[in-house]
Parts: sequence; C-alpha cells; structure tokens
Amino acid sequence: MARSGVTAYAQVNATTRALYASLLAPEAWRALIQAPDLDALLVQLEKTAYAPYLKIDHQLLTPRRTVYQLRWHLARGYEKLIRLTPEPASQLIKQLWQLYEVDNLKATLRGVETNASWDEVRRLLSPMPRHITLTNDDIQRMLASGSIVRAIERLRHTPYYDTLLHAFERYEAEKNLFPLEVALDLDYRRGLWQAIHNLKGLDYEQALRLVGTSIDMDNLLWAARYRVYHRLSLQEIINYTLPFGYQVQDADIRAIAEGEEIIAVVKRIYPRVEALDDIPAQTRDNVSPQRHQLALVERALQRHIIKLCYESFLGNPFHIGVPLAYLMLLEYELRDLTVVVEAKASQLPVERLTSMLTIEWW
Amino acid sequence: MFKPQAMDKIELIIPQNEVVRTTEALAASGIFHHTPAVQTIIETASRDSDIWQTWTTDLIALERRILLVMEELKMNEGAPPSVPPHIIEPRVAELDIERLEHEAETPVRELEAAKRRLTQLQKYVGQLTPIADLDVDLGTLRNLHYTFIMLGSMPVANIERLESSLEHIPFILITLRQEEHLATVMLFGLQQDAAVLNRAARSAYLNPLVTPEDYRGTPAQAIAALQAGIERTRQHIAEYEREIAHLHEMRIRHLRHLLWRVRATHALAHTIAGYDHRPHAYLVTGWVPAADRTRLEHEIGIVSEAVIIETLEPRQEDIGHIPASLKNPPLLSGFQGLVTTFGQPNYDELDPTPILALTFPLVFGLMFGDLGHGLLLLLAGLLLASRRIKALQSAAGFGVVIAFCGASAMLFGTLYGSIFGFENVLRAVWFRPLEQITDILLFAIGVGALLLSGGIIYNIINAALRQHWGYLLFNRNGVAGLLFYWSLLGMAARAFGAPLPIPGGVLAILAVICGIGLTFAEFFERLVERQHPLFKEDVGTYIALAFFELFETLISLFSNTLSYVRMGAFAVAHGALSLVVFIIAEVIGAPGSVGYWIIVILGNLFVIGFEGMIVGIQTLRLEYYELFSKFFSGGGTPYTPLSLIPKKGKISSVEGASG
Repeated sequence: MARSGVTAYAQVNATTRALYASLLAPEAWRALIQAPDLDALLVQLEKTAYAPYLKIDHQLLTPRRTVYQLRWHLARGYEKLIRLTPEPASQLIKQLWQLYEVDNLKATLRGVETNASWDEVRRLLSPMPRHITLTNDDIQRMLASGSIVRAIERLRHTPYYDTLLHAFERYEAEKNLFPLEVALDLDYRRGLWQAIHNLKGLDYEQALRLVGTSIDMDNLLWAARYRVYHRLSLQEIINYTLPFGYQVQDADIRAIAEGEEIIAVVKRIYPRVEALDDIPAQTRDNVSPQRHQLALVERALQRHIIKLCYESFLGNPFHIGVPLAYLMLLEYELRDLTVVVEAKASQLPVERLTSMLTIEWW
Repeated sequence: MFKPQAMDKIELIIPQNEVVRTTEALAASGIFHHTPAVQTIIETASRDSDIWQTWTTDLIALERRILLVMEELKMNEGAPPSVPPHIIEPRVAELDIERLEHEAETPVRELEAAKRRLTQLQKYVGQLTPIADLDVDLGTLRNLHYTFIMLGSMPVANIERLESSLEHIPFILITLRQEEHLATVMLFGLQQDAAVLNRAARSAYLNPLVTPEDYRGTPAQAIAALQAGIERTRQHIAEYEREIAHLHEMRIRHLRHLLWRVRATHALAHTIAGYDHRPHAYLVTGWVPAADRTRLEHEIGIVSEAVIIETLEPRQEDIGHIPASLKNPPLLSGFQGLVTTFGQPNYDELDPTPILALTFPLVFGLMFGDLGHGLLLLLAGLLLASRRIKALQSAAGFGVVIAFCGASAMLFGTLYGSIFGFENVLRAVWFRPLEQITDILLFAIGVGALLLSGGIIYNIINAALRQHWGYLLFNRNGVAGLLFYWSLLGMAARAFGAPLPIPGGVLAILAVICGIGLTFAEFFERLVERQHPLFKEDVGTYIALAFFELFETLISLFSNTLSYVRMGAFAVAHGALSLVVFIIAEVIGAPGSVGYWIIVILGNLFVIGFEGMIVGIQTLRLEYYELFSKFFSGGGTPYTPLSLIPKKGKISSVEGASG
C-alpha cells in the first residue's frame, strides 16, 4: 500500500535537507567564477560536494572529462532519493532520471551516424550506474553495429525500441536524426506526464507544479524553436509538441505556431515570470535576434522554475516536492557549472561568463 | 593460521627485452603480488608513445569486436582456460578479427535484413487486411484527381494530435485496426490540400503504405502476393540461420581461444604499463610469501638469468599496504568469507577467522539448541559443502558454516533436552531454558563477558605485534580496559553473592586505578610512545573530555555485555515458538492424528527457516558489532597474486564506475 505524509517522507525530507545544504553556496560560486583558469577552478571544486568525483589524475581532467565527473554527483543524488522515496512517487523520480538515458541514447545515435568510437562518445554521456534500461554495454554494441538500423535492433530489450523502429522509416527517407530524436522526446514526456498522474493529493499537486511547469516550458520553447529555427508548418508544430500541459493549452501552441510572440504567450500563461518586459520584441523575419529573444525567454522560464523549487522548501515538507525541487536545483547547478568549466577552459572573461549563467547563484 | 603469512618485499630489475617472458613467469608462479607505483602509472598514462599503454587500449577495443562477432554467431565466451594462453600482438589479433568479422558479416547482415523484410511484409498484410474486400487497384487510390487518400500506420498516441493539427482543413481519419501501440489508419482529404496533409501526416509519424512493385493490384491480390513473399523470406531466413549455425560450429573454438588470448595479453600489457620504466629496464616491486620466495627466484632464474631479484626491507610507507595472505584450512573458508565480508585483515594483526570459527557456532547453538533442528541444519550444510547442487556450488564454503552451526545446535539441543520442539522426549543433560529463564540469561551474560574478554585479549596481542605499548597498556580495549572490566564484573558478582577469592576492596582499588588510566589514556599512551605534545588540545578541554570518555567506556562495556542477553532470550524464544507449534497442532487435531503431524512438521520447518535465519543474523550482529569492534577494523590489503586470466571476465567492464 502506498504510504504518504510524515511517515513516508520523514527520511526523504531529512536526507534532502542534508543534500540541499551541499548545494554550492554563494561564496563557492564567487570563487568558481573568479578562478583564473581550469586548474584553479578544479582546486575550488575540490572544496565542494563535487570533490569525491574529481579524485582522479588531474592530467586526465579535460573540460569534457571534468563535466562528466561532475555529473556523477547528480547520479548519486538521484540514486539516493529514488531509494528513499516511497512508491509511486519514486517512479516519477525514476522517470525524471530517465531523461539522461534518453539524452545518452540520442548522443549514441549521433555517434553511430558519425562512426564515432566508444572512447569518443563515452565522456559525452551522463554516468548512469543504476535505474537504467540502457547499459554501457548496449551503447558499445550500438556503436559497433555500424548503422542506425542495426543500432536500433540492439535496443530490442528496451522501451525505446518500438518508438525508434516506427520512426526509423522517416529517418531512412530523410537521412536525418531529427524524427528519431523528436519521437524519443515526445515519448519520454508522455511517460513523465503519466507518472505525475499516478500520484494523488499533495504529491500530485507538487509534482504538477514543478515537473508540469517544466513540461510546459519545454513545450512552449519547442513550438517557438520549430517556428524560428526549422520554419515548420502549423500542423507540423502541433504534431511535434505535446497535447497536454500544466498551464499550457493547445491554443497557446497554436498561437505560437501561427506567429504570436512567445513573450506574450508566456506572460498570459505565467504572469509571475519575471523580466519578460525587459526582453525586446522582434519581428518574425529577423531570425538571429529572434534566437536571442528565445534564449532570454528560456532563461526567464528557467529562473521561474528555480524560484518554484526554492518555494517547495517552505511550508509542509512531507511530499514529493522537496526531493523533486532539490534534484531540479542540482540539475540547474550542474548546467551552470558546465558553463563555468567550458568558460574557464576557453579563457572567457568573467563578465561574459556570468551573462551566460541561468541565475545569479551568488 | 592465526597470523597472515609472512611476506617478503622483492624488487626485480628486468631487462627490457626480457619483460614479457618474466611477467608471464611471475603470473605463472601464482604467488607474486604486484604493487604498481602510483607516480609510475600517471607518468606512463600521460606518455602516449608507451607501447604497453597503447596495447591496453587497443586490446579493449579488440575484445569488444570479438564479443560482437561471438554474439552474432550466438556463442558464449566459455570457461576461462586453466593455463594462460600465449600472448598475441594487437596487430596480429586485429587481422584475425577482421577475417572473422568479414566471414560472419554477410550471413548476419543478410539474416537481419531478411528478418526486417519479413516484419515489413507482415505489416503490409496487416494494413491491407481491413480493406481486403475493396475491389479497387491500390495504384488508382493513390492517384485520384480530387481526393487525397493515405493508408498507413501510426502510433496510437499521435492520432488525436494529428486530428488536432488538421483542425482548419477538411479531412477524415479512419482507424482501421489498432494494436498495442500502432494503428492502421486511412486519411482522406482534398487533393488540393495534399501538401499540408502530407506534412501533417509525416510529422505525426504516419508511415504511408508503399508496397513494392511486386505487390500491386487490388488489396486482395496484393495480400496474396505478400503471403508468397513472406513464405520466400522465411525460407531465406532458414538458409541464413543454417549458414550461421555452420559458422558457429566451425569457429567457436577459434573465437574463444582468440578472446582469451586477447584478454591474457591485455592483462600482461596492463601489468607492464604499471611497471617503473627505466632506460633499458623495468623496475618491478611486489610481495611474495616468505616461504615461497626461493621458489619464485628459481622459476624466474629458469626463464632469464639476466633478471636481478632483491629482497628489500619494508619501508615506513609500506606499513598498512603489505598484502595479507590468510592461510586457513579449507574447512574454515566459509568463516574466512564472513571475516572478509566485514573487512580485510591487516598484515600485522591476528586473523580473526579462528576466533570466529570457534565463537560463531557456539553463539548460534546456544540460541538455537535443538537436536533435531540442528541435525537438519548439519545435513543441509554438508549437502551444500559437498557441491552436489550445481546451482549452489559457489556457496559451498557457507555450507561448512551451516554444518558447524547445526552441530553446535545439536550439542546444545542435547544439553537442553530438546528434539524437534519436543521437550519431554529427551532428558535435559543440563537444564531447559524455558523452565529456568533466569539461569539461561545469566549464563548468556557470562558467555558474553568471556567473549568480550577474548576480543580485548586479541586486541592486546595485536597491539603487542605492532609494538604499540602505550595503546596496549592504556586503551579501553587494552590491559587497563580489560582489568577495569574484570574488576567491575567481580564487584557485580560479589554484590550478587558469588563467592570470589579476591576481596571486594582489592577489586575496587583495581577499578579506580584502571579508571584513572582509562581517563587519561591518551596522555599515558603519548607518554609511553614518547609522542609530543602530550596533550593535543589545551589541558582544561582535555580533562573535561577525558571524564566523558571514561563514562562512555563504562556505558559501552555495560551495553556490550548486556547485548549478549539476547542469546539467552533466543534460547527461551526457540522453546516457546516450538510450544506454540504444538498448541496449534493440538487445536487442529488430536495428538497422533494426520492434521496434528502436518502442523508439527510444517511448524518445525517454519521454526528452522524463520527462526534459524533470525538467529543467524543475530549471531552475525554479535560477532561483527560486539566482538570485532574490540580488536578488528579491517582495511587491509588483500593478497592478489598476479594472473593473466582476468577473474572478472570482460576486461572492458573492469574499469571502475567513475572511470
């Protein structure tokens, strides 16, 4: 029988609070950003919760390898909270974790298409020791298969097989991974939506508030990107987006597909999202500024989600919202850390670097 | 048996041209524990030109390729060879693998393609079946002037979305057939909207049915042609499978041999890459059991006279890293497994296996005393240990542990007069726990005090072996701790009226002296060991903390001893649980009836399984947390002689999780 409330979440909550305390403090962020180069950055990172994952020969710590090692922290966080969270809420966390498996699969398919070796691909993947259907062995066998169709054949035992096999006809006709990747993305989010709807009461509300908003953000940005980057038709945009959402309705996707400014749509759906008024409006023909505008909208939405995550730690803490919020915050932290690592490796000035971060963590 | 085998540290200077043969000989000896120097590994890893490092990387890739061919030919890798195969150069191995890949490629690819074709043809049949009665040529349907028609399959989840996307366009979407995830659909619209409909259908993953030229005509004609095509494809599949089976037969030995050669070569290259590489020579350090050192020197001497072997004095930094080779009789292997599960003993300490082999069955038997239950456990343990059950062969060592526990349970069963829960069949040689609860509880405490004392004595011996005299004298698990514990036990015994030859006053004085020693243990330890400063923190803080330390020692000795009361409690519970079985049996049927005996048998099985498991866990808990904590912390280095046959099988999976 599913447990809920204090008995179910006492240990999860205590553990999450302890983990929450290990998120990078403002002083740590300041030190990381001010680090003169990658070596100095590594020294600073060794004073944080990421230290255990960096205990390898520093000569091996290229920017790519460093990011790979840092991702172990996220993997351990998921592992721990999946183990402690009661059913069916843990299924939702597992489903969230599966996003990294989908990303690994996409990276592998790209590797197959470009004839990349395992050594070239492995550090691009997220380390996923547990709660997976796609093992490193599967990935190696896919890479060794030599073609997309044979690589898909090697996924027969995974939930991705049917989706990819059906989408393969499109790949074969167009020789482009886009239909395969979109099919995987849509399928993944259907599973996520289903996992939210398997919850009840406060768990359902909290999951909808956090994960639902995140799904909304993806859906809105997809619609806008399909219009701006890919110049797809209204019908294609609708088919490549999700028919469900927390606040986003079909009419909103249709509006974006028909050319309405995404800022106006976001303002209408999420009036609490800040800084939207500071983003300059753009004309439809001007692609480059539109891309810039999209990036700013994306950041505003991400900041809104981060705010929702912080709010989850206030009030009654005995629900799925607390571990979800921690994991989402950790993901954003890792995303920005990746930016810092890349920036330090390429000697980017501090001002430029800070402008690229999601939030002013410090 | 009580101490890990004495080890000698040796250093070999191997000329560059002798390194392969010498490494093979070191591995073949089965006694050389190689210690790679950390700085050497880093240095070597960063030198791309190093041939052995390159070999290591290349061989991992080659192993993957061999495994892929084996998988395609439906082979498993087989058992590891008993003797390491000859090494093979990656270049030579690659040529061999290329040939095998080429040989397997055609039938395997053809088979896969044929299987895909079969699936496709079956899908076409599935899509056409709902419109089989339609007497219209399929080509005509596709080339209508005013109407757009598309027959195809799409994910069920996308149907609603497709309908939604075509909201402003006239269309009809009919689902002809629906399977689990896919649906066969027919999309109708106006030819003038064909471009929009096509893009919408494509983005909804509606894959249109485009049958090959051979399958044209009306749907019925196309289905008949497709059925014939399916039959032909099945025949092709059977042919390719026969070809693959033939290749399997022909190449299985060769591929397995090649796989293990590549693995052995990888192990060799990986080992050499870890050597300290000097100009023209390799410097190799490691450990061998002192008793076998001469044999190793002799075996290396046969291979090469140019190799210089020197025995070195262990250095300060070696302490704590000397591999501990536990040498226990095979009978105790199960107990040794329990020890290493807790932690690896250090080289300079006593091996806890003998004390565990003695106390584990004793504690178990005391809690689970029953002649019949013990006999069944003994037989089950012997059966496991005999390795007659194939699936449980790896648990043979554990079988010995069960057998010892069974024998001990039989002994205590005889003492308690209990057989299969019957308390009135045998005469109790000693007493029945259920009738004399206080006696069994006091006895359990006595056994606990004895075991704890044994643990502390073990720790004192360990301290003596390490020559930590301060620790030996003043630690809470040293001489002061032991005398303190005994004097407290003596005073408690006298308080309960036990006749002791030592006067109470003497015991009290001893307790006070030892208490002072324990309170200032750290100070005395540092004084004896001549370490400075004598106080790590300021004196005031130290004294305040010291009294708390003494209090904690007192509490922990008290709780450790009381922890053993559970042995008596379980002995009582065992009798009580058996009693419950008989009460239920009597409720079900009169004594002697079939129902009665069924309940008695099932109840006994339940007691053996359920209570046996709980008692086993409790025994392990007492050993690990009460006894081992007195003298054993683990953290030693296991003795792992160099081998060219990787124990973990696949080399590419041996890399660490974070590697």
